[in-house]
Amino acid sequence: MSQASKHPARPLPKPNAYMDTTPFWQAANNGKLMIQYCRDTGEPQFFPRPISLANGRRNLEWREVSGKGTVYSFTNTFSAWAGHEDRTPYLCALVELEEGVRILCNLYEVKAEDVKIGMPVVLQWERLSDDIQYPAFVPANR
Amino acid sequence: MSKPKDIAIIGYGETPVTLRGGRSSYELAAEVMEQILEQTGIDKSEIDGLSIAETMSETSNPFWGVNTCEMLGLSPTWMQLNGLGGASGIGGIARAAAAIRDGLCETVLVLAADAQSSGQTPEQGAQRYEFMYPVGLKGPVGAFGLLSQRYRHQYGLDDRALAKLAVTQREHALLNPNGCEKLRKPLTEADYLASKYVSEPIRMLDSVMVCDGANGVLVTSTENAKRLGARKMIHPVGYGEITNFNGSQRQPDITISGFSVAGPRALRQAGMQASDVRMIMPYDDFLIAIIITLEDIGFCEKGKGAQFVLDTDMSFRGSLPLNTSGGQISAGQPGLAGGGLNLVEGVRQMFGEASARQVDDPRNCMVTGIGVIPYGRNWGVSNVLILEQS
Repeated sequence: MSQASKHPARPLPKPNAYMDTTPFWQAANNGKLMIQYCRDTGEPQFFPRPISLANGRRNLEWREVSGKGTVYSFTNTFSAWAGHEDRTPYLCALVELEEGVRILCNLYEVKAEDVKIGMPVVLQWERLSDDIQYPAFVPANR
Repeated sequence: MSKPKDIAIIGYGETPVTLRGGRSSYELAAEVMEQILEQTGIDKSEIDGLSIAETMSETSNPFWGVNTCEMLGLSPTWMQLNGLGGASGIGGIARAAAAIRDGLCETVLVLAADAQSSGQTPEQGAQRYEFMYPVGLKGPVGAFGLLSQRYRHQYGLDDRALAKLAVTQREHALLNPNGCEKLRKPLTEADYLASKYVSEPIRMLDSVMVCDGANGVLVTSTENAKRLGARKMIHPVGYGEITNFNGSQRQPDITISGFSVAGPRALRQAGMQASDVRMIMPYDDFLIAIIITLEDIGFCEKGKGAQFVLDTDMSFRGSLPLNTSGGQISAGQPGLAGGGLNLVEGVRQMFGEASARQVDDPRNCMVTGIGVIPYGRNWGVSNVLILEQS
């Protein structure tokens, strides 16, 4: 990021803002993508929630997932969200993980015109600070 | 609401839509209430209910509703604060009707006022700090970029239909003295197609411009409307609403909206089919929302919305007039009062008071609302109101 930027800095995640997401961020910092599973039904869910969407119980656990998925949809961003002005244009996507959840993320190492819905992608961590790695995705077949 | 026309809308009011007008939500609300009192000739003391929309400009104040009563000199025996985003306008009517039927009040001011463009948009919090902001998805524009891209993948989308919607609404806005001044200039289909991408495939001219403004209607029982000597009245005869459609699914089809539930519910209650609708005032935060709304309510098959638009004259002279005051996209979005803009136009049309853009035989009108942008889903709230003449 340009040091001379007149824009606000890219927003860092604020862990534990609405529930205890420590397991997610600790694992992320070690290069592991963890999502919640309902222990009763075996259903995964993302983003993290304080209850199982499947049955309304709080019997949840964190499990590591493969980091493999496909592009469900994407958008090429020309008008930035605050703090992302220096990144335009950039790709935001909904990636469908093979475990069956969708994750909102950035796509890297691909031009907008080459992105296809259904395209296989794999996890690539982006280091945002000493403590935070953020999940991004890149084409599986580069 | 049931088909018996026991509830009536007897008045409406609307401020001009302004960009950074600098007047507070309270001032804007006051203007609307005065208009309604003048128009109906009803004494302020008759208003014993307030159904008011949440705002962007005053939302940091949890007492916005009660404070409005204090500001306007109202003492309602029933007060409701509606936090349904752009669905609050018609949602406010449904709740008012229920309260009137339950005997909690008799005459309800359904009000929305927001000075969003003159203030700061409040923080919506929760998962956004961790799982949205770091990615940089551009708010509603980005969410509709994802939605629109997926829609195009599943069904294809003829840009000429979006261009036609943009031009039709703009032509209506040119006839609306309350429309935002900055938008009151002619627009061609070529202008739309040349409009720059903000979050591709969403263009600048697909989107609303956030402004300030207020609007409202007066709702009472039909019986009380007669006692009050109401000069005109129309009736809500069908309503449907759903929040967080497909909320327990982890991979819902994001091209399908809650209108697939709310639309049929409203039509069934009104004893109507989509083809019976004389005019439609759909919530228009983005042009593609209109296409999805038409499909999911049942005006055409899923995926055929663009063709329906191309085949249908939706001007105020046409077979299915659409957002005849310009919609939010061409009249400006008065913040979270945006849901009331197209509602008030529907009432105005049915009262026969739409001047240069008057629809002939305005026997009924469908109004829709959309509220709130969620994570990786279709929009958060969908609701549908059907209005009919006596």
